[in-house]
Amino acid sequence: MAWVGFSSPSGAASGDLFERLRRDLDGLFEQFGAQQPLRAPGGVQPPLALYESDDAYVLTAEIPGLKREDLELSVEGPRVTLRGERRIELPADPKLSVHRRERRPGVFRRTVELPAPVDSEKVEALYRHGVLTVRLPKQAQHRSRRIEVQQPR
Amino acid sequence: MSQKPVEVASRELEAQPKQPVARELTRSGPVFQPDVDIVETPEEYRVYADLPGSDGDHVQVRLEEGVLSIDAALAVEPEPGWVPLHREYRLGGWHREFQLSDRIAAERISAEMRDGVLEIRLPKAEAHRPRRIEVRTA
Repeated sequence: MAWVGFSSPSGAASGDLFERLRRDLDGLFEQFGAQQPLRAPGGVQPPLALYESDDAYVLTAEIPGLKREDLELSVEGPRVTLRGERRIELPADPKLSVHRRERRPGVFRRTVELPAPVDSEKVEALYRHGVLTVRLPKQAQHRSRRIEVQQPR
Repeated sequence: MSQKPVEVASRELEAQPKQPVARELTRSGPVFQPDVDIVETPEEYRVYADLPGSDGDHVQVRLEEGVLSIDAALAVEPEPGWVPLHREYRLGGWHREFQLSDRIAAERISAEMRDGVLEIRLPKAEAHRPRRIEVRTA
């Protein structure tokens, strides 16, 4: 499956529909709060993915080791906001020595503008094995319907 | 000895793209290198690995010839009916290896997985624990 990067579109200005669609969707992702990415230009945390099914959008995020009270999810119109903090806990041993530290704690705030309005009353979120999955049912008129094509006799 | 966890100071998070691992696999699909923290107390080493999407049933920790290896596969995956619109992270398994010193009591290694974080405890072999020798006054 194609990997759709978040960071700026490739230099080649492609007029092809798929490329334009991808650029439009990239523009739907905003992040607030200052980030100074040193190693990953345009990279933000937590990394997100957005999917679409017939009747819902599904937003997923990889955020291992999160506590419930450190995550806040809100939906307003077509906007979904994820706010929280990833904490790292290490043993409180006074004689602790650290050999390697790669996992980074920090606060995050991500907002996603969905392509169509959702039914905020029916949003469901599940956090399992370090992955947050948010199901956002589309409003009735925006669901895709399979239309049966009749054959004339 | 009670070990109350301390928190490492927070700051604005930065992202890192996943590092792919070039390695022969029994499973097909991409494999990435997880972020780890490795710390040491007088009694043990601890390895913490971020393996989001994986769980205890999908992770394997092995110690062979002094090499500790972590292998994990995804337990949480997108459903077949979902069309991806935008993806900032790649999906795949995890792998990482560490050379350990021979000061580990291999038979007492334990590992626990919770919310996508793997914690491995590697107790030091008795002979290598710092030991305080009491000096008696004659």
